[in-house]
Amino acid sequence: MFRIIPDTNINFIGARKIAFGVSILLVALGLFAAVMIGTGRGNLGIDFAGGAMLQGHFAEPVAIDDLRGALTGTFDDVKVSTIKDFKLPNAFMIKTKRPETEGESKERVAVIKDIMVERFPGNTFAVDSEHIIGPAVGESLRKDAMFAILISLAGIIVYIWIRFDFRSGIAATVATFHDVLAVLGISYFAGIEFDLLIVTALLTLAGYSLTDTVVVYDRIRENLKKFRGRGEFVTSVNRSINEVLSRTFMTSGTTLLMVVTLAAVGGEVLRSFSIALILGVIIGTYSSVFVASPIIVEWEARRPRLFK
Amino acid sequence: MSGQKWRILLTLLMVVLAVFAFLDTFKLWTMTDEDQQAMQETAPGELLQLQQRAIRLGLDLQGGIHVVLRVKMEEMDEGAREGAVERAMQVIRTRIDGLGVAEPIIQKQGNDRIIVDLPGYTDAERAEDLIGQTALLEFKLLENNENARLLIDRIDSVVYQYELSQAENDTTAETGAAPTETTPEPETAAAEGDVDVTAGSDLLAELTGDTADDTSAFEFDENLNVEDDVRPFSTRMEQFLFSRETGVSWPAFLVDKKDKQRFDKWLNLPEVKRVIPVDVQFAWSTRPSIRNNREIYELYLLRRKVEFLGKYLHSISLGQGQYGGFTVNFRLSGEGAARFASLTGRHINKPLAIVIDDRVESAPNIQSKIRNQGEITMGSGADVEDAKNMQIVLEAGALPAPVEIIEKNVVGASLGADSISKGFSASLIGLVLVLLFIGLYYRLSGVIADIGLLFNLFFLLAVMAGLSATLTMPGIAGIILTIGISVDANILIFERIREELRTGKTVRASIDAGYQRAFVAIFDSHVTTLITAGALFIFGSGPIKGFAVTLFWGVLISLYTAYVITKVIFDIRKGYKSLSI
Repeated sequence: MFRIIPDTNINFIGARKIAFGVSILLVALGLFAAVMIGTGRGNLGIDFAGGAMLQGHFAEPVAIDDLRGALTGTFDDVKVSTIKDFKLPNAFMIKTKRPETEGESKERVAVIKDIMVERFPGNTFAVDSEHIIGPAVGESLRKDAMFAILISLAGIIVYIWIRFDFRSGIAATVATFHDVLAVLGISYFAGIEFDLLIVTALLTLAGYSLTDTVVVYDRIRENLKKFRGRGEFVTSVNRSINEVLSRTFMTSGTTLLMVVTLAAVGGEVLRSFSIALILGVIIGTYSSVFVASPIIVEWEARRPRLFK
Repeated sequence: MSGQKWRILLTLLMVVLAVFAFLDTFKLWTMTDEDQQAMQETAPGELLQLQQRAIRLGLDLQGGIHVVLRVKMEEMDEGAREGAVERAMQVIRTRIDGLGVAEPIIQKQGNDRIIVDLPGYTDAERAEDLIGQTALLEFKLLENNENARLLIDRIDSVVYQYELSQAENDTTAETGAAPTETTPEPETAAAEGDVDVTAGSDLLAELTGDTADDTSAFEFDENLNVEDDVRPFSTRMEQFLFSRETGVSWPAFLVDKKDKQRFDKWLNLPEVKRVIPVDVQFAWSTRPSIRNNREIYELYLLRRKVEFLGKYLHSISLGQGQYGGFTVNFRLSGEGAARFASLTGRHINKPLAIVIDDRVESAPNIQSKIRNQGEITMGSGADVEDAKNMQIVLEAGALPAPVEIIEKNVVGASLGADSISKGFSASLIGLVLVLLFIGLYYRLSGVIADIGLLFNLFFLLAVMAGLSATLTMPGIAGIILTIGISVDANILIFERIREELRTGKTVRASIDAGYQRAFVAIFDSHVTTLITAGALFIFGSGPIKGFAVTLFWGVLISLYTAYVITKVIFDIRKGYKSLSI
């Protein structure tokens, strides 16, 4: 038996004041980012803000990485993809952020053409079409998503209420929100563009964080039953966190292994997605120990004996 | 021990089902682009079938066309607004069916919008033409059987020659296709999408007597020696329309669905178009149907002349026939009634094709002269769904729902083929690292957990294939989360077993206690995730839904693999002296 984490007895709950401070800061960052993104002032990706799309093809084959590399210098938010068309080989689609004016759009096409001539001498690039595209995430999609998320939150609160108690349901939801906002905030200030992949990452980390929290709660529930009347609430919570610590590290470790690989070799496009997931795993683990558990400790301290 | 037996049997059964469900996906995914291109040319129907049965890739992974339409309610009468979006959707679905898109997604959005996603399709202009037009419902007569036979003989020989030259070498095909300029323009009548009332009335006014003696349109080349075994066209179809009253057959044929693309290719050959007279057209049925356990399309040979326009119909309703079965009833009034009476009076006991956007919804026999009120009796095999489809088609033609395109994007795979392949290989590397890590840390037990995880992924892909679900990038994120949760279940169990072992229990007792005590935590964490995924799946749309699908099934399967599959493996041995964990 090889163990990374030996038996521990760390006073996690004792550090809750510091943790709350850190968490409030993270949530504040996240709320700020959410407001900026919600009002359209954030670093919105083409998925949300719309953009300009240009389709064209080369006479000779061109590696997509070279093409992306050639364009990134001038357009930092460029998205290049190949077009699978048997009739037109070597065709690419180049998306850039929404231009402010019609003129700017034309200028941009000219700039792109110049870059092609300069960077791919001996090859010719023909523009097949160009137009301004709307956001892929429309108003109704946004509303649907909000509604779906609210319903699932309600479902989680009710389930945890039935299986544990009401305050655990609230605390787990708060911890999940904390994680999503924290990652959103950090990504925003790190200049990561807000696009569909980031939304996906946020959903994924919410699922991860929730699982992590429920596992810790389960052990707290078990220990409270086992040691009822034989110790303080805080001791039981601390003991529970310590008992599941090796599991927490193992699970976070394996998940991190997965997402770090994705960040390292998954390519440019998936990088921000994987970085958000890495942040999510770290913060999700932190929150189930330092946020979700302390909330019920504080709650219990103010209105005792509600946690059965 | 019988419990153990059942679990093994159940798992084996699931494996067999999963292999079966996943087979087509495996075939498609292991084909190279060149293979697919070759298949597209030789057997386009098979490729489409493969694509339909395999796990579908979403718009973000393979690109395609994304269109948002608005039904122009303000241009419609108050009474016509109800169900207008559904009618427009039905029409769009019918039209898209002809594009050969493996999996179109047509959804209603809000009160007056329709989203159309055509993954894998890149011809924006054609899609726009098809989707953005208002439905046109026409009534047309069928060509008589004698003319049809002559035409089909000629097509047979032309197609035979074409296929022969294709087989011999590719250069002859070019010469055969060269004189396209001389081709008459059979598309013109179809292209006049909005035949207006006056044009329609002119056509109807010109209608005189029996039009069936119109053989002059054919110039039969008697030098062509058409043998029975060289009839590539006619041997692949089977005539089915026959008037019992008169003993006359009509040129309507059953064509196997898998032959449809081949037929389309033949019918669009310039040399074939040249032998089809301008006043007739081939038209497919609006959708495939099942006959004799085969999925078939009907192919009709119609006269191009528009005999009657759908807009004269009103009060379309479903009814019960005299001898059971369903009927679709309609009313006519004023000008329309007089025209229809004259049309039906002249063509009693002939089939009248109901054509929507150049596709035949049905070709019912004219039983008697119809003036104000008509009734279409559905065939004996038709169910209420068929009758409803017919009703929607008639309504769509009678109360056309005008649409405008408000958003149209041709999207390449938004991630790009290179990013997808990189992401795919990165996921594989990550997975291997996770497997190694678990295997090294938990030793033999870890290997058992790894087996469970692999089963989990395999079953998940099989379920996706079985449900013909669409895999999107968010879906892949859901799979990554599934891996995390699945591994977590095993870690919870193993850490519990270790705790139990440390208390000095026997290995057997520790394993059982570990599984038992970890169950609550695993169950609760899985169920919370299932609730999240379920809610996101039911209420979410687009990318949210894509994420929810894989997560939901992944977590459900994880519960099974953690508690049945890994336990089965642990239970193979009854007595353990020590445990490698």
